[in-house]
Amino acid sequence: MKEETMKYLCPYCATKFETFEALKEHALGAHQGEAVPLPEGMIRLTVNGQEYQIQVQPEWTLNYLIHDKMGFTSPKMFCDRGACGSCTVIMNGRPVLSCMSLAIECDGKQIETAEGIADAGHPLIESYVKHHCMQCGYCTPGFVTTAKALLDRNPNPTEEEIVEALGGNLCRCGTYPQHPKAIREAAGKLSEKEGGK
Amino acid sequence: MSMVRDEYEKMVEMQDNTGADKYPLKDFNNIGKEQIRRFDGIEKASGRAIYTMDIQLPGMLHMKFLACPYPNAKIKRMDTSRAESLPGVRAILRYDDPALPEVIDLGGHGPTAIRAIPAVARFEGEPVGAAVAADTEEIAEEALKLIDVDWEQRPFVLNVEDALKPDAPRAHPESVPGSNLEVEHVEGHGDVKKGFAAADRVVEFTAKRLLHTYVSPERPCGVVRWNGEYPEFWCKHQRPHEAKRTIHSWFGKTPMNKIVMNFPYQGATFGGWTQFYWKQGPDYCAALLAKRTGRPVKFAFSRRDDFYGGSMDEGNYYFKVGFKNDGTITAVHAEGHFANAQWEGFGPGTHFEDNTAIPSLHAPRKVVRVNKGPTTAVRCEQLPNTLAFTLVFDRVAAELGMDPIDIALKNDGSKGHDIEWLNERKRELGFNPRDSLKECLQKGKKAADWDKKWHPPGAKRLPNGRMHGIAFTWTHQWDDSCGTSEIAMRVERDDGTISILGQRCDNGVNADTAYCQIAADEIGMRLEDVFYNQHRDVPFYPMCPDSSTNMSVNGWAVRHCARLLKAKMLEAATSLRAVTQRGSFPPFFPDCKPEDLDIKDSVIYLKKDPSKKLAVADLVGVSAEAGPLGFHELYGATRHPFSVPFFAYSHQSQLCCYGWPFRPKWSRQTHFMEIEVDTETGEILVTKVVNVNDVGKAISPETCAGQQYGGTYMGAGRALFEEVVHDPVTGVMLNGNLLDYKIATIGDCGPISTHLVETRQGYGPYGIVGIGEDIATVIPAMLSPAVYNAIGVWIYEFPITPDRILKALGKI
Repeated sequence: MKEETMKYLCPYCATKFETFEALKEHALGAHQGEAVPLPEGMIRLTVNGQEYQIQVQPEWTLNYLIHDKMGFTSPKMFCDRGACGSCTVIMNGRPVLSCMSLAIECDGKQIETAEGIADAGHPLIESYVKHHCMQCGYCTPGFVTTAKALLDRNPNPTEEEIVEALGGNLCRCGTYPQHPKAIREAAGKLSEKEGGK
Repeated sequence: MSMVRDEYEKMVEMQDNTGADKYPLKDFNNIGKEQIRRFDGIEKASGRAIYTMDIQLPGMLHMKFLACPYPNAKIKRMDTSRAESLPGVRAILRYDDPALPEVIDLGGHGPTAIRAIPAVARFEGEPVGAAVAADTEEIAEEALKLIDVDWEQRPFVLNVEDALKPDAPRAHPESVPGSNLEVEHVEGHGDVKKGFAAADRVVEFTAKRLLHTYVSPERPCGVVRWNGEYPEFWCKHQRPHEAKRTIHSWFGKTPMNKIVMNFPYQGATFGGWTQFYWKQGPDYCAALLAKRTGRPVKFAFSRRDDFYGGSMDEGNYYFKVGFKNDGTITAVHAEGHFANAQWEGFGPGTHFEDNTAIPSLHAPRKVVRVNKGPTTAVRCEQLPNTLAFTLVFDRVAAELGMDPIDIALKNDGSKGHDIEWLNERKRELGFNPRDSLKECLQKGKKAADWDKKWHPPGAKRLPNGRMHGIAFTWTHQWDDSCGTSEIAMRVERDDGTISILGQRCDNGVNADTAYCQIAADEIGMRLEDVFYNQHRDVPFYPMCPDSSTNMSVNGWAVRHCARLLKAKMLEAATSLRAVTQRGSFPPFFPDCKPEDLDIKDSVIYLKKDPSKKLAVADLVGVSAEAGPLGFHELYGATRHPFSVPFFAYSHQSQLCCYGWPFRPKWSRQTHFMEIEVDTETGEILVTKVVNVNDVGKAISPETCAGQQYGGTYMGAGRALFEEVVHDPVTGVMLNGNLLDYKIATIGDCGPISTHLVETRQGYGPYGIVGIGEDIATVIPAMLSPAVYNAIGVWIYEFPITPDRILKALGKI
């Protein structure tokens, strides 16, 4: 082992020290009162309003983390390479493909999944059921998250805007014509709610 | 027991049904109603529906297969020692493992006898040689790279015309040794020589369909655990009954009652994966490795792996058609040479047989082996038939300059007989004859605005510069109403709700809700009081659920069962209720006969005095220690009235619908497609599609519409761009992913106008006929006449991509 690797690293500022005593003296002096920084690979993220602190490997995708490790079954793996939209989650208000995002880069992010959208009582869920927007249902949560992100930034989208927004979501059963109907209906419900306030 | 016996006798009478429904309900409450909430909706929309891919068990290992890098190769020697020593590898199953039987049943459409892990690969990517189980998928993949294989590479052939040449390399030398021609069949009737002689004109042409596939959103996968003695499976498979039967044949015949099967929701495979002869190969290997390692084992194929397997219409087609100047077709020669088709192929003549008065038909087919993945029924095996049917009918119309609708009407019939003859047969079988084609045309022509929009070929340039095309096609409705479906129902104590019992797979056709609609209406229950948890191993098995056979058989089983259950309940309501040594309860409806009663909104009532009533929940009483004896003597608790348990089971068993005289098809479907063709770029836009389907009777109209627009999207994608491409030099598949293999997106089809016709001329209960397979199968070929109508040139190579348009226009 080389001499270099034997040095002691400050967890706050990464300054190197020759001895542990020197590091201790530095840390107590320079960083007294600061919160202990997260260990490498530890991230904090908020999923559906709840905070998590979780250790991740650098190669984990966000999909692997939230589906396989955290147990949110809604972001589904369909194409495996950013071509189908089934694994879409909402990250800080934007729809993102969880299979194309590295978990380790999501520290501090706010994530919404279809489970969270349903639990919040969003009218999209009921209008999706009413309009048969699912057949086998495997891709459906990806449509729901994409649609929710659309409504968040555009509360009254036109049919063309909806088709544009859903252009990256594949549905092999071909439920496509129903989604604009359901999204328009949910938009109407949301604006009724707004009006009632 | 007279009422129960009466229902039982009616059930027996409707077994192997070849005629009209003799005892339909008079009044429907939920059946046929719109806005019935689908039972799987919330689960699927919220992402909480569990699929096999979502299953994770504690300590679960991940299994991966070695894939052959060559299209035709044999393992000479294999060294797995480096892979075995990789940390995290728990077991490797080799092709020469002494525990592997020489051959084994690995499922498919019926029993198979093949090797679980072969040493010979017939296509690039075929799983051969070894399966590795490791702590993670990544370790399993790493281990596969460490396996040293000495391959004997053999020459290969990729398409039917090359494979049929006398000096062609043998694609499957072990199973089809003599030549690549596996089998030849001929179907047809009449004398085509006479038919062509009687024709005013004869045309000949050829067509080609390139390989396409099913693209299941959920990849092939499965999970197995051993409880120490017996296996438990989580299966992605369309036929629970068949999967369990296959598993039963393994490991020295594992008893049926000790195998536990779980069928979570399924990402739809449209036939595909379930039909392949090797379907349960990975289930078997995973089970063996789970047994050896004592840990659950999951396998999940990659997205690329899912592309190794396609639709059985790939191949070359040859047509010769004779017709009179008035549009009467006198003879059809329709020939197909299919690549790797299973079950000795299908078509391409069947729809001329089933559907027309054409007096002579000669339809030979050849099934040819090539070094690509297996092909099977992929929504569905009728693709060669619908392609042949559409191309022939539209070509005749074009040759004569006649409206294709007139050609359809002129030749509608069956088995060479006209529609009048067909109507006689309908009457004989108890149907009220209706002209299904005319009824479908009436709706379709109007919705498509056909009379205004149809024009001579190449005659209409739109203001945007593109050429406008419109096409029409038609055929009959089909469902494969065969098999045995078994269903049971139980009235739950405490609340009197009804559970339907029967394990099926769900591929999304909303069948669970539809079965409940039937049961609710037949018994008189509120819809919310009937439920079907289809994933449980109960073990009753409805037929081929969501494959070719669904409602036309399972609907019968549900109906029989509901009627038997209702009869039992009404008889119990008029008899002494459950008798014990400590006494019994008097009948609720004393001095009544079961016939005096009926059930509505989950309440039993006296027909002549509906104020006398008893909720089903009160008839069955409460369960267990809160029941009729319970603690009442000890604690002075109330004694609850109580009845015998209510349970009924039933079945429907039917022969296959293919082949006269069983269930000839008299329901029709018509479709219209409008397109725009850019003659500079070759781009085609499908701007409008009209679907009209005679479903006999719709149980759930929205679900039927879902099959129409859903099938239209799939059909449009198949017609426009779906093609699996192989490198001719290496035999390697080039586009096994969803970036390079395109399926239709929301923007790839214009408005779809769906219409239902209900002539009650199907063989299912209430006269229903299935449509799930039909639309995706009929739509693709219609692009060819639409393109002809737009640019005046026939393109008979599918998919019709922009380069094929430009080539046909002489621009490249």
